[in-house]
Amino acid sequence: MIEVIKPGLESSIQDWPGRYGYLNLGFPWSGPMDSWSMRLANVLVGNAPGAPALECQFMGPTLKFNQAAVIAVTGADMQPKLDDVAIEMWRSVAVTSGQTLTLAFPKLGARTYLAVAGAFDVPEYYGSKGTFHKGGLGGVEGHAIQAGQSLSVNTGNGQAGRQVKEGARPHIKTDKVWEVEVVRGPNDDWVDDAGHQRFLSTDWKLSSKSDRSGFRLDGPDWTFNERAHNKLPEHGSDPANIMDQGYPVGAINVAGQTPIILVNDGPSMGGFINPYTVPQCAFWKLGQSKPSEVYQFKEVSVAQAQQQARDIAALCTEASIEQV
Amino acid sequence: MIYDPPRFLPGGDRFLLIEFGDEMTLELNFLAQDLAAQTAAQKLTGVIETAPCFATLLVHYEPDEIDFADLVKEMTRLYEGVDIEGDFELPSRLLSLPAVYLDPWTEDAMKKYRDEINPDKEPDPEFIAGLNDLADVDQFVRVHAGTEYWVAALGFWPGTPFMMPLDPRCKLVAPKYNPPRTFTPKGTIGMGGSSTAIYPVDGPGGYQIFARTPVPIWDMNRGLPQFEQAPYLLRPTDRLKFIPCSVEEFEAAERQVSEGTYQINIAEYQKISLKQYKHWVSGLDMEQRF
Repeated sequence: MIEVIKPGLESSIQDWPGRYGYLNLGFPWSGPMDSWSMRLANVLVGNAPGAPALECQFMGPTLKFNQAAVIAVTGADMQPKLDDVAIEMWRSVAVTSGQTLTLAFPKLGARTYLAVAGAFDVPEYYGSKGTFHKGGLGGVEGHAIQAGQSLSVNTGNGQAGRQVKEGARPHIKTDKVWEVEVVRGPNDDWVDDAGHQRFLSTDWKLSSKSDRSGFRLDGPDWTFNERAHNKLPEHGSDPANIMDQGYPVGAINVAGQTPIILVNDGPSMGGFINPYTVPQCAFWKLGQSKPSEVYQFKEVSVAQAQQQARDIAALCTEASIEQV
Repeated sequence: MIYDPPRFLPGGDRFLLIEFGDEMTLELNFLAQDLAAQTAAQKLTGVIETAPCFATLLVHYEPDEIDFADLVKEMTRLYEGVDIEGDFELPSRLLSLPAVYLDPWTEDAMKKYRDEINPDKEPDPEFIAGLNDLADVDQFVRVHAGTEYWVAALGFWPGTPFMMPLDPRCKLVAPKYNPPRTFTPKGTIGMGGSSTAIYPVDGPGGYQIFARTPVPIWDMNRGLPQFEQAPYLLRPTDRLKFIPCSVEEFEAAERQVSEGTYQINIAEYQKISLKQYKHWVSGLDMEQRF
């Protein structure tokens, strides 16, 4: 068992790819925001890449191990310590029973992943072990972990002393400016040419009013096409209103004038347009950025976005691991 | 208007959005529901899930198994085989839910909004009545409660219904709150565009609000037998009727819900056919309002 001494900021068990198959009932996918880092943490400790691991955000938890374990910490650098001794990120580490793992504020990045050999043992709910914290389902009793809880772990066969090769890790930016891939559509025909140009040339600032449901962006106003102004009343009266429709995960949802990127725990449906969609290959960048950092959007094709996701998946394998 | 052929729009690397048309009609939602059912029945390679809404179908696919162009071809083939006319029927339960219209709880939520966000916001029932050329809020209540609602989709939040009125004379329009409310009580009934919804839990919201039902539509704690199998009550293609009730009746029902003894009125055995529905609509006097 692993005892939660301090929970951190909504640290939650997530698995990858998450809760597929229930969008038609309104269940979001959930899952890790930076699945690249989480998959590598699992590979380090001998788990399947998508096995349930702990996602820690902005302020890490303190966990006491009441059993021996092999762990790996990846993603944002929360300066992990075992009993006050620093341990390496991106490396599998042996923990002895009675030791305490502390994760602090991230020096770089926003989200850190903790995998334990054997993986966290939580019940499956609607096809996933991942947590939808706001909906109260999945993970540990439906929510982020709480102080005093005990987390159980399945038996694993992890080995200490393995690390992820430098070139296989996501490169978390230090200059606070992110180039984020977008695919045009589905509702790009509601925005006029000037609106498209403005979207692709603006430095969008990530608002502090962002969480695992949506990333709000501050920037200029949108301008729209004839279709947005001249439409049947069932679409709604605001130019950005459209008759309610399914939302792709990653949709850039224009809520009136505020673009919100709908991320892992976001709404599956609603009545605003989505002129662009952030593909899965760019989600790790969203997951590792902090409020007031800047996004510059770069348009890619559907096929390019799919290839980039394949390239990342190829890195989340044993081939990326070396002995220390 | 029905698009011929439908529009196939990309949504990132894993989604295809199919738009069937540009209006809120039962016909377009039938297309979406039927294509979703066909896709599931044929177990199309690479399709992970679909989510029908009023006039669209969102398709989530695995690009390692099918590429976008091939998926469009496959969905076009299925679409061409869909025949919603004739004797085609969809299963459709009918649920009757008591609801207090012009209730004190949504009134409190509106007051909170006026106090904290926008002092000039006209009360929602008066606002909708005016916007839709109705005589007063009482007529608004008669019109809103005077139709069965079609559950076109569940979404936004798990188990939240997006519904359209089946009686076209009861079609109303309303803009959304801008900016949204920070609080809406669980069970609130509201509308935005021409869609009516029920709020499954307390939370923020953007629909105009005017009524509240004591019947839960989302329950993780399995308080009533209907929630033993699943935490949501409603399913796409259900129909729902609001039965106006008093505050006292609401509170009595609420007590029964918390005791686990409330009986939800569900007629399980019904079906709906587009042919019969269109026949009924064609006989209506559209000038008549309630």
